[in-house]
Amino acid sequence: MTTFYLHLPVNNETLQFSLLSKIYQLTGKNMSSGFLMHSLLICQFELKRLFSTRKGLLYLITFTLVWYFILFYPLRSAADFLAQEHNAAAGGSFLDFVGWGALLNWQVPELAVYWHFALIIFPLLTILTSADQTCSDRERGTLRFLGLRVSRNSLFFGRFAGAMLSHALLIAISLLSTVVVAVYQDAALLASALNGAAAIAVNLLIVLLPFTAMMAVLSATVKSARQATVWAILIWSFLAGIISLLSSYLPVLESLKILVPGYQMSALSQLSQWQAIQLAYIPLLQSVVLLSLGCWIMHRQKL
Amino acid sequence: MTTPIIQCHHLSYSYTGKTALSDVGFNVLAGEPVGLVGPNGAGKTTLLSLLCGFLPVSSGTLTLFGHKPGAAVLSGKVSALPQDARLDPALTIGEQLRFYARLQGLTTKQATNEAIRVLDAVSLNDSFKLKPDTLSHGMAKRVAIAQALIGSPELILLDEPTAGLDPVNTRNIRSIITELSPATTFIISSHDLTELGRLCQKILLLENGLMSSMQLNASEHNSPTRFITLQMEPSPAVEVIEKFKQLKGVIQVSNPQKNEYIVQYNPDIEAKMDLQVLGCIADNGWQYRQLSQGKTLEEKLFFDGE
Repeated sequence: MTTFYLHLPVNNETLQFSLLSKIYQLTGKNMSSGFLMHSLLICQFELKRLFSTRKGLLYLITFTLVWYFILFYPLRSAADFLAQEHNAAAGGSFLDFVGWGALLNWQVPELAVYWHFALIIFPLLTILTSADQTCSDRERGTLRFLGLRVSRNSLFFGRFAGAMLSHALLIAISLLSTVVVAVYQDAALLASALNGAAAIAVNLLIVLLPFTAMMAVLSATVKSARQATVWAILIWSFLAGIISLLSSYLPVLESLKILVPGYQMSALSQLSQWQAIQLAYIPLLQSVVLLSLGCWIMHRQKL
Repeated sequence: MTTPIIQCHHLSYSYTGKTALSDVGFNVLAGEPVGLVGPNGAGKTTLLSLLCGFLPVSSGTLTLFGHKPGAAVLSGKVSALPQDARLDPALTIGEQLRFYARLQGLTTKQATNEAIRVLDAVSLNDSFKLKPDTLSHGMAKRVAIAQALIGSPELILLDEPTAGLDPVNTRNIRSIITELSPATTFIISSHDLTELGRLCQKILLLENGLMSSMQLNASEHNSPTRFITLQMEPSPAVEVIEKFKQLKGVIQVSNPQKNEYIVQYNPDIEAKMDLQVLGCIADNGWQYRQLSQGKTLEEKLFFDGE
């Protein structure tokens, strides 16, 4: 076994250039550790990006501020109103009258309001914040450095998982703050609040899967995050609009609506807590289709 | 017989109608650096991109260590300096190099040490905590070279490694290549033929998407005629050519560029032609800058038939 040294004329230092390398070779630690390990490392790095970059921190601060205002003004007021409605006679409340009676099925009013807010806010946030999964790195050439070390599948799924992890973190933070507010009002609600929060977290993450996957596909296709966001809105509106239009002539086409991410949203808002899981098959199916498409595109794209 | 680390057969690549590579075939054995030269648009970067797996191989076969380019098994074994690739401006250089090392299978501590080591190698040890945007073009190029040195790659593909570097750092990069060879095989794409002439024994020439190869120094030793290339201080060209032609054994004298002369001679008639030429220069009171045996790489590659 030979070990060679690099003599640098610039700083007159002798570096043991390949000693470390030889150790790695002998221990076999520089071999590819496979798809899962690479995906996990990329996912971790994405989370680090959220906390250590100016852009990530700005996003976190904005989210916290926005959530603070939602929590202390519309959410609390709405929760108070909901609590009053709970006391109204069944079927005779205002919410029943406007078709939002499902809100009364929640044991913790704050979580009922959260669920309805989250079904609108988080998909929108996902479209905005998950748009840059690979596009700017590809344009800058940074993906080339990564592509030399990991497979395109690891890169694609690692970034996707990183985006989902960021969503999970924000959902957890916002949900915990909501639980704290609810329990502060009535400590007896702790168990129900935790159960409801767990149901929301799981369902919300499932809801966000196809939106994140859609942004992963678009990010693998276009040149910038802005383009990805614009295309997401265009495609989503076009799909929803064209299917609605066609199905008015040919009702059998109504089933094509299953292709549109968020198709189940209006039905979801009528379900409470763990009931919502019964519609999970729709976003899961959409995610499988979108991720397969994204993988296919990623393999054909030049880095 | 040693198996080539790169095997390429009938490789073609086109960009929407424009042929970049046409039926290219070559093998590279592990060992000494290989130069890749050719005019602008000849297909050098396309070939390196195919070797790195950045572009999909659509026609022909190409394998590195028996695997398709971009295969996960090549992680850590093949590295590259891609053309115009930049690090993420949002994260520090150290964080990114450490991340690349982690992807190559190193532990967190090893990865940190490795990032420091490669930055030291390119004389950028103070840049660990800097953001890429704060670096000049040359420094960014050196960081990109540093990432190619992470771990113990067996094959490193360098696209224009010294373009934009100052002379001191060009020399430093040359030292790194020399020290790591032949344990690591380098393929170096460059327009700097002097640099390639110093580093490489084998040259791959790409022209109009077609490839030919040349083993340096081999052809001249077997040839019945040899060459001397002479760089002169300003001198009367007609007179210089006339005087050189009168030397015993000289077959032909050409003047490809101002103050540069190529003397073709028969070594069987005069083996020590360099001494004869120097004597002639001294006798006539001329001055010379440089005398070298053989033709320059530029002459060999691009003007041999003229």
